[in-house]
Amino acid sequence: MCASVKYNIRGPALIPRMKTKHRIYYITLFSIVLLGLIATGMFQFWPHSIESSSDWNVEKRSVRDVPVVRLPADSPSPERGDLSCRMHTCFDVYRCGFNPKNKIKVYIYSLKKYVDDAGVPVSNTISREYNELLTAISDSDYYTDDITRACLFVPSIDVLNQNTLRIKETAQALAQLSRWDRGTNHLLFNMLPGGPPDYNTALDVPRDRALLAGGGFSTWTYRQGYDVSIPVYSPLSAEVDLPEKGPGPRRYFLLSSQMAIHPEYREDLEALQARHGESVLVLDKCTNLSEGVLWVRKRCCEHQVYDYPQVLQARWFWEAYFQSIKAIALATLQIINDRIYPYAALSYEEWNDPPTVKWSSVSNPLFLPLIPPQSQGFTAIVLTYDRVESLFRVITEVSKVPSLSKLLVVWNNQNKNPPEDSLWPKIRVPLKVVRTAENKLSNRFFPYDEIETEAVLAIDDDIIMLTSDELQFGYEVWREFPDRLVGYPGRLHLWDHEMNKWKYESEWTNEVSMVLTGAAFYHKYFNYLYTYKMPGDIKNWVDAHMNCEDIAMNFLVANVTGKAVIKVTPRKKFKCPECTAIDGLSLDQTHMVERSECINKFASVFGTMPLKVVEHRADPVLYKDDFPEKLKSFPNIGSL
Amino acid sequence: MQSWRRKSLWLALSASWLLVLLRVFPLLRMAVPARPWVGAPQGWPRWLDAELLQSFSQPGELPEDDPQPPQAPRGGSCDWGACFDVSKCRGGGLKVFVYPVAGPISDTHRGILASIESSRSRSVSPDEACLLLLLSLEAPTGECSPVPQQWNGGRNHLVLSLHSAFCPQTFHLGQAMVAKASPTVDTFRPGFDVALPLLPEAHPLRGGAPGRLGQHSPHPGVPLLALAEERGGWRTAVPDSSACPWDGRCEQDRGPEQTHPGATLPNATFCLIPGHRPDALHFLQALQAGCIPVLLSPRWELPFSEVIDWTKAAIVADERLPFQVLAALQEMPPTRVLALRQQTQFLWDAYFSSVEKVIHTTLEIIQDRIFGASAHPSLLWNSPPGALLALPTFSTSPLDFPFYHLQRGSRPVGRFSALIWVGAPGQPPLKLIQAVAGSQHCAQILVLWSSEKPPPPRWPKTTVPLTVLEGQRKVSDRFFPHRAISTDAVLSLDAQSSLTTSEVDFAFVVWQNFPERMVGFLTWSHFWDEARGGWGYTAEKANEFSVVLTSAALYHRYYHTLFTHSLPKALRALADEAPTCVDILMNFLVAAVTKLPPLKVPYGKQHLEARPPLAPGGPKSQLPAQDCINRMAVEFGYMPLVSSRLRLDPVLFKDPVSVLRKKYRSLEKP
Repeated sequence: MCASVKYNIRGPALIPRMKTKHRIYYITLFSIVLLGLIATGMFQFWPHSIESSSDWNVEKRSVRDVPVVRLPADSPSPERGDLSCRMHTCFDVYRCGFNPKNKIKVYIYSLKKYVDDAGVPVSNTISREYNELLTAISDSDYYTDDITRACLFVPSIDVLNQNTLRIKETAQALAQLSRWDRGTNHLLFNMLPGGPPDYNTALDVPRDRALLAGGGFSTWTYRQGYDVSIPVYSPLSAEVDLPEKGPGPRRYFLLSSQMAIHPEYREDLEALQARHGESVLVLDKCTNLSEGVLWVRKRCCEHQVYDYPQVLQARWFWEAYFQSIKAIALATLQIINDRIYPYAALSYEEWNDPPTVKWSSVSNPLFLPLIPPQSQGFTAIVLTYDRVESLFRVITEVSKVPSLSKLLVVWNNQNKNPPEDSLWPKIRVPLKVVRTAENKLSNRFFPYDEIETEAVLAIDDDIIMLTSDELQFGYEVWREFPDRLVGYPGRLHLWDHEMNKWKYESEWTNEVSMVLTGAAFYHKYFNYLYTYKMPGDIKNWVDAHMNCEDIAMNFLVANVTGKAVIKVTPRKKFKCPECTAIDGLSLDQTHMVERSECINKFASVFGTMPLKVVEHRADPVLYKDDFPEKLKSFPNIGSL
Repeated sequence: MQSWRRKSLWLALSASWLLVLLRVFPLLRMAVPARPWVGAPQGWPRWLDAELLQSFSQPGELPEDDPQPPQAPRGGSCDWGACFDVSKCRGGGLKVFVYPVAGPISDTHRGILASIESSRSRSVSPDEACLLLLLSLEAPTGECSPVPQQWNGGRNHLVLSLHSAFCPQTFHLGQAMVAKASPTVDTFRPGFDVALPLLPEAHPLRGGAPGRLGQHSPHPGVPLLALAEERGGWRTAVPDSSACPWDGRCEQDRGPEQTHPGATLPNATFCLIPGHRPDALHFLQALQAGCIPVLLSPRWELPFSEVIDWTKAAIVADERLPFQVLAALQEMPPTRVLALRQQTQFLWDAYFSSVEKVIHTTLEIIQDRIFGASAHPSLLWNSPPGALLALPTFSTSPLDFPFYHLQRGSRPVGRFSALIWVGAPGQPPLKLIQAVAGSQHCAQILVLWSSEKPPPPRWPKTTVPLTVLEGQRKVSDRFFPHRAISTDAVLSLDAQSSLTTSEVDFAFVVWQNFPERMVGFLTWSHFWDEARGGWGYTAEKANEFSVVLTSAALYHRYYHTLFTHSLPKALRALADEAPTCVDILMNFLVAAVTKLPPLKVPYGKQHLEARPPLAPGGPKSQLPAQDCINRMAVEFGYMPLVSSRLRLDPVLFKDPVSVLRKKYRSLEKP
């Protein structure tokens, strides 16, 4: 009767008067139908290989069946090519005006077979590589099939190898493309602009204003900032399987793998080899290879045979931009895209740094060594719920700090209105109260428009023990370290070897890795980061647990700057949960466990432990020195 | 009554129908020949015979290396490989010959000559020179210099023209490189010519006009956009209004129009600069102001574009897409704005703020071309402190410098070398050696013996290697990049210095966190002496400091290289004349590089008495010590020293807690 109980829960009004026989009948019917529905749904939406969605949209035809186009002998031909072309003269950027997300749209003309008057083909219809190249573009985000919205046009006329085509007729074929318009915004790919013995440096096919992505450009044929210089793809690359290279120095310091080097260079290289022996390897054509060996991939040094891709270096570049036709095609489009939307262009580092460097490096958002002027001052932000009396004391104390320029009270209590204007302490700087929509800890780190200074002092509504000297000194320290968290109570994270996890520590230790944001100076940019760029679910997690917003901020700042916090001035008794003995041991312990959990949670979200441990804190230059107190700038430090 | 039954029957039926439909539909789809849906993207076809297609090239067809060495230029065009002969450029330093100019010498000209003099290049005779420099200056009489004697078709020549447009050419430039302000992109030969900034007439010769960026992020009230005006002024615009952004209809005038070019700097987040050549002046103004330049299809090459990655500091946009550009600016994430702003200021300060820097950068670019693979990596050009202060002769690996650990995701590791300078009295500092050798971070001790007396034959046994170096009895010798220094960190000491092991330990741990700064124990502070109208400094205890004494200081060994190879000779000679000046000179150097103050760590009280009085000016000095600070400020062109008001102490320093808990407890002994 298990089932009936289940149905009782689901539909009590439906079942009661039903006879058991009918009941079973209907239940069975329902189950069959339900199962059928589920099975069908799964069959419909399960990703399966029988018919992939892309195949559904793409025609399946043979290259031999493409339409034939007859070119009359007198059909027009483009101009030779304008060497003075630049993006702002020859490229029609208006066509790229409506491309969303700063990404150009590329249209590919459909494949045709061009023949002359006599019916003789102008060129091979399409090579394997050009087909791959167009497939790669078609599969990428750049592709559009809407010719009216395209910014760049790629003809399907294959000009990769100049030796396989008839120059004049190919040019005529280009000129009759539907949107040719003197080649404006057309992109041609060419890798072999001629063959031995008279190698050329650029495609000879007249092409007017068309951009050329070419292999083998010379500085005289390359139009700077307009053409794209691409590598010459070797069909043999497809078969190369590079071995994983371990870290450590490489075997050869100098490696030459090119054949038929100019004799003068060769002499120099051989002299180097004679002097340095093992660390220089000069490879050349093999003369005595047995039959059947794929000789193009072999290079020899004296009698030793090398499979030369195996000894090549600079692996990351090769894999990213040279290895496949697809890599070459997409890099070319990205380069053109970067020129059209320069404000969205990839940076030098994004192009060039290997992934290992990208992961480990830190680019400090506040990298310019700059000591902000003292006159700017700081904005104090007090987060409060309902402790009005204590809040007013904090306001009065903080207002005594000379560099305070504004005070912002974040009223986090939705059930109670803040006190009337007349009741607030009268202070010499503007005081603003911001009411929040929800009682969340992250409200403390919101980038309020009211914050006009770069320096922010986050302070709890119960921190009344900090003296004006201490706060002013904290601000001075922040000016020297504007990219760090500068705070008063310091904390430490430790690795617990027994539990195999991180542990939070608030004892009197010799090291510091965090400061509590119950009283800390920091740059207001970190408010923006906390609110909008906090990784993972940390922000919501903190709001849900009503704890650890300060640890999250420490993680965030350390992760983005790669720098440690600065703890200022000696330790004091702060009124914070873990340092009051009155609260009792058990509460204290729960608190420590929760805080440790936060550290472990955040470390797993960040994927690393960004906190940095230091052994120093900042004190005024003359702190505890034998010097008349009244001559010290900050005499009132550390007194409880 | 039976409605529930009807209902459920109906439900079952409709569900079955749905089922049937779902089942049959795919079958239908398979039966109908594949026709693409209308509207679905129609990609490049998957050819049935794609596998059978031929490759575009047969293996033998792939080009082999060009058997010809680089050929002579065709059509008057030149590139570095074809038109520059590097064979004369071997040996240290760039060997430069500057053609003398007939007639009266202008101030600018004198400034340029002085800049070349103060650079790391060497001037030699025209026959030995690697680079022959021809200054093309505004000739007051309108006459241009005749073809110089050593012209040789312009080979290895650099024709430098800072302000003026080119002299009507009386001779063909041929193979000479041209360095001129804002060259048009059409005639500029990348990698061969050098694009210079268009400098205003009154550009400072040295030192430099300081950047105006007071804070990292834009002030909330600052306008988004400033527009460059015809006559060199700026106009701020509020582009929120729906009308056009910059044809002059929607801007709001703020204050009177400025007619003096350079008199005002724009105060906005972005500075819009049209692409015509005269607007290049605005470009430098924007950089100085920390206003991100937005260049609309510039027809001129950006200055030093060969080495400077302008994508990090400016936005080059197409003038034909104004609304896209405007939208891109308004939507630009704060992170990018922050980075661009700071980069403008760094570049201004590193390469553009004075004529001297512009000249040095030009020579450095040519030097880099000659160096080839051992030139500055891009990172060194494009992040602080910049390529003029990061010498590739020291290393081309960023990790060897103190500046790039963060960008490379590393930390300074290892230990320090103690370098003890023994001066005139010639007393071996035995106690000091023991104290330093006791530090767990000490890798080696180097004694730089600079006394007339011969060094003692025997030295105390230490746990670390001790080497005696024969000094040259010059004070500047203590900052020579001795080969024996094997670690990144150098602890510079005097024979008279007195330190304890834990002081050294703590200082080193602090230095590891600030490898680009100097960490010291004893400090001076500088001040502006109104009465004397000059700079002064004091060794008295004060609430701030700006100089740490090098008789006990930790710093990166790279500063030895910089001190010896980048400071002008005159300054080093000055330091040799007056030994107290050497401290200030080293502090000037580090502060000029880092733009930050040094760091002070605690120093036991008992040593103070042990130190000789800090009377400025030793017995040997001919020069009042106050003078050296002023002479250095003149040589540097500004006062680089920065004051600090803090000292870094151990975390539990003098805290009311058991001494046993403290790691550096001996620092607290009275």
